[in-house]
Amino acid sequence: MEYFRSGLKSVLGTTTPGNQPTGAEIVERLVSRVSTSTLLEDRRDACRALKALSKKYRLEVGAQGMDILKQVLELDRSDCEIIGYCLDTLCNITSKDTFEEESENNINMQVNVGEQFTEMFLKNPENVTLILTFLEEYDFRVRWPAIRLMTSLVCSKPKDVQDIILVSPMGVSKLMDLLLENREVIRNDALLLLINLTKSNANIQKIVAFENAFDRLFDIIKDEGWTDGGIVVEDCLLLMLNLLKNNNSNINFFQEGAYLQKISPMFELPPNLEEVGWSPQKVSNFLCVLQLVRTVVSPNNSAQIITACQKTMRNANLLEALSNILMASGVPADILTETINAVGEVIRGNLTNQEYFANVLAPSNPPRPAIVVLLMSMVNEKQPFTLRCAVLYCFECFLFKNEIGQELVVQTLLPSNAGVSNLSMGQILCSGIFSKDHLSNWFSAVALSHCLIENPAQKEQLLRVLLATSLGAQPVSLLHQSAVFLQHTSKLQAKLGILMLLAQWMAHSPEAVKVFLNVPGSMAYLTAQTSASEFDNNEELLQGLCAFLMGLCVLYNDNSVPNYSKENLSQLIEKRVGIDTYCKKLVEISRHEVYAKAAKQPQIKSKHSSELLLEFEFCKLLKTLEGVIIQALGVQRDLSNGMSELSLNEHENALLLQYKELIRDQDKKLQDMQKSMNNMHKTTQGLETQIKELQETNTQLIDQNTLLKAQLAVNPSNVTNGPQIIESIKPLSSSIESSLLERVKTLEIERDEAKKEIERIRKDQDDLLELLTDQDLKLNTFKQRLRDLGETIDDDDSDNDNNSDGLENES
Amino acid sequence: MSYAYLFKYIIIGDTGVGKSCLLLQFTDKRFQPVHDLTIGVEFGARMITIDSKQIKLQIWDTAGQEAFRSITRSYYRGAAGALLVYDITRRETFNHLTTWLDDARQHSNSNMVIMLIGNKSDLESRREVKKEEGEAFAREHGLVFMETSAKTAANVEEAFINTAKEIYEKIQEGVFDINNEANGIKIGPQHSPTNPSLPGSGGAGGSQGSGCC
Ligand SMILES: Nc1nc2c(ncn2[C@@H]2O[C@H](COP(=O)(O)OP(=O)(O)O)[C@@H](O)[C@H]2O)c(=O)[nH]1
Ligand SMILES: [Mg+2]
Repeated sequence: MEYFRSGLKSVLGTTTPGNQPTGAEIVERLVSRVSTSTLLEDRRDACRALKALSKKYRLEVGAQGMDILKQVLELDRSDCEIIGYCLDTLCNITSKDTFEEESENNINMQVNVGEQFTEMFLKNPENVTLILTFLEEYDFRVRWPAIRLMTSLVCSKPKDVQDIILVSPMGVSKLMDLLLENREVIRNDALLLLINLTKSNANIQKIVAFENAFDRLFDIIKDEGWTDGGIVVEDCLLLMLNLLKNNNSNINFFQEGAYLQKISPMFELPPNLEEVGWSPQKVSNFLCVLQLVRTVVSPNNSAQIITACQKTMRNANLLEALSNILMASGVPADILTETINAVGEVIRGNLTNQEYFANVLAPSNPPRPAIVVLLMSMVNEKQPFTLRCAVLYCFECFLFKNEIGQELVVQTLLPSNAGVSNLSMGQILCSGIFSKDHLSNWFSAVALSHCLIENPAQKEQLLRVLLATSLGAQPVSLLHQSAVFLQHTSKLQAKLGILMLLAQWMAHSPEAVKVFLNVPGSMAYLTAQTSASEFDNNEELLQGLCAFLMGLCVLYNDNSVPNYSKENLSQLIEKRVGIDTYCKKLVEISRHEVYAKAAKQPQIKSKHSSELLLEFEFCKLLKTLEGVIIQALGVQRDLSNGMSELSLNEHENALLLQYKELIRDQDKKLQDMQKSMNNMHKTTQGLETQIKELQETNTQLIDQNTLLKAQLAVNPSNVTNGPQIIESIKPLSSSIESSLLERVKTLEIERDEAKKEIERIRKDQDDLLELLTDQDLKLNTFKQRLRDLGETIDDDDSDNDNNSDGLENES
Repeated sequence: MSYAYLFKYIIIGDTGVGKSCLLLQFTDKRFQPVHDLTIGVEFGARMITIDSKQIKLQIWDTAGQEAFRSITRSYYRGAAGALLVYDITRRETFNHLTTWLDDARQHSNSNMVIMLIGNKSDLESRREVKKEEGEAFAREHGLVFMETSAKTAANVEEAFINTAKEIYEKIQEGVFDINNEANGIKIGPQHSPTNPSLPGSGGAGGSQGSGCC
């Protein structure tokens, strides 16, 4: 402080000893000096002093100095020095962070002062435009603080600044020019500014890409030594990630502009890697590049883009480079894991890439396929959990829409091939399914189930697989053994894994159902589980999956197993379980949060091994067949309710009426739901505006508060009974504030609830729509059948022609 | 993959005149009768040949609504060519041309080539703007003019290619500073930037140029 005092004397004139001025008084004098001095030098000195005080007396400088600082920026713009001081000062007072010097003064400030001052500054968008013009000034003393001030503003109020920049002419272009700076400090800070500015704003992202951002960034990365470079490389990569994430237009541009080819060299590992090792920065850079790869081929992107990028990656040897990393030694576990995920997404659904991957060999002795080596890690308890998940995901990606790959795996288990090597893909999975490690059970069962997806031939082939259980005993089939294991294992994860495997297997496959029904005790087990009334700890999932499997046994039953015909099983469900209980158990699965999580994306995103319960493709299967099962049970019940062949016609008529009734009913429900959804929408909107208004009032109050506090600090003597007034106001204002906050909170809660409700209704509506479609189909079949039987039917609902001419469509 | 030059284009004009359809017809050779409203800006690319040289076109499609005007402005400076489109069946889209042109002239580099396009020429029966009017407007403002149909593909190739030819000629005449990427022009990878007067070498020729998309 003494240091300041003596330094300030020249600016402020000497103060009478014994009468030390307060910080606020100093600030006030400085501000008035800036506004009244006619000499530039005086103003400059005062600004320099303000800058020096702007951390410690941030509140005072901001409250009293904001306007005068803006004025200087306008009037003294020809003097780089004074502009630099002003920009620095503004940067300090708008910063979102608190400063060490400052905290002692403003400890009990509730609000973020930086955000507050940023908001005041942004109230006039012209201010931002003004700062943008300072970016064009070459002088270091101006350009550098201007960038930092912009960054400070963006960090405090991203959305507001983004909107202003978008409408200011050439706003983004001016920022882009900064990447060409040869003064590194400026360039690096410009990078940080762009990273913050491009966050979740597709329009800015596109303009930045249009302004040759990728060229600029790759130039910098190259200059800095690719992934061996410092944090600047990481910043460049982070900016690229921002530009590409969920931005199809930019991904398209990235792919088309041959930028993927520029990534390849970054994956090349130096030959002396084991000596030089992996620095933490290198690991960070590498992970960013892997993220980059995954972002452009993410399963969320449009299929067209994914295919194009995958093809380019193969041709640019990027897939090869990634595969090499998988097989290299000394690669840190998190990089390995992320590489496995990346390889998965680069090959997912792309036959050529999948084939390439199947042929990658690990440098072992004798050489083994890389997939085999990976699967060995998946069933190895000692491997990190996330790595094991990554391997499963990669394997699933390998099998996705890949009949050849699916066959390849199953083939290794067939009697003719078994025993050739005991380290084939199939054999690793089989021993994994029945191993003692229940995580391996789950991983392996799910992995194997992916060999059967939409592949009837492999479902049949896999039925031929025989296992030798113990010496001398008759070999049993894999399906048989799985059903036995299901009954004997006590681990929930193992059971769920097996059930999902069996479900993929038995869906659409009467042969598999037949084998399953012949396993002693299997039906009894399913029935017992499905009818169990109490459960704990995710057992409702187990019961639901058992119910689902039972349903599949009804649905794909060719009546070839005595006592377990379609009709027998339906009655079993009706009599032993009860239709209502059964349906409740079945639909329970898709209501479960575990289901919601798993169904969201193909990748397994569990953080902890205990969360591994359901899996993406199984969820899809369940979704498509759930309704069909429920419907089939209903029909079966009606059929068995004493209908003879002769009365079928009559029965069908009744059924038809029944369905019509049902559809009408559901139509009405649908409309009601729509109505209530609209109402909810309105309520939510109302609530949202209310919240906004309240928040505005709140901000205004806080603004006023900040100003008042500052004024008070400046001149306490002026307000003779100021303290008392403040004291008397304090409880009032704080009670207002807290009641406002409370109101905002309740409104927010109400809004969230309303949102949830809408979400639920929307989901119900979807389900109903699906059911409706099914029943429509059914209705038509029945109608057709009636017609075939010679009945005439009045087509009361054939009002389906409302073709619109798309060409006329004008906005 | 290799090219002698890369040109950046933008497509501008009122909403609904067929900008997105023109781009789709040019890059994918198909027509989509009901097209989504373009949100912000979309991207497409294609390789063409001029004077036996491969030229890559990168095209940014813009949204015509008023709300997106300021965003569109950000694209002018970096573009070498612009297709300014109106709909021959809606006179108001023709009437708005001056506004668009003023905007473009104000924010672009002075050499940007602007091609005026009267789209939907297949809808002759609903025509509201005569071809002669389009020609007159173009003449008055120094633009190239064409009528196109994104639906039948009539003149679509020509519109994009003629714009490129115009730019190419300007390069030959030395009007464009091709070393300044801000003009929306890039020299192909193996065309050394230190030797910009190299267009005659033709080394970038078609053998590998298997198109881009
Ligand atoms: N008949 C006809 N219709 C067109 C043509 N071009 C576009 N359209 C239709 O005009 C509407 C608007 O097209 P769009 O490309 O989305 O316009 P944009 O807003 O300028 O991108 C769509 O319904 C198109 O199908 C054309 O050349 N002929
Ligand atoms: Mg459009």
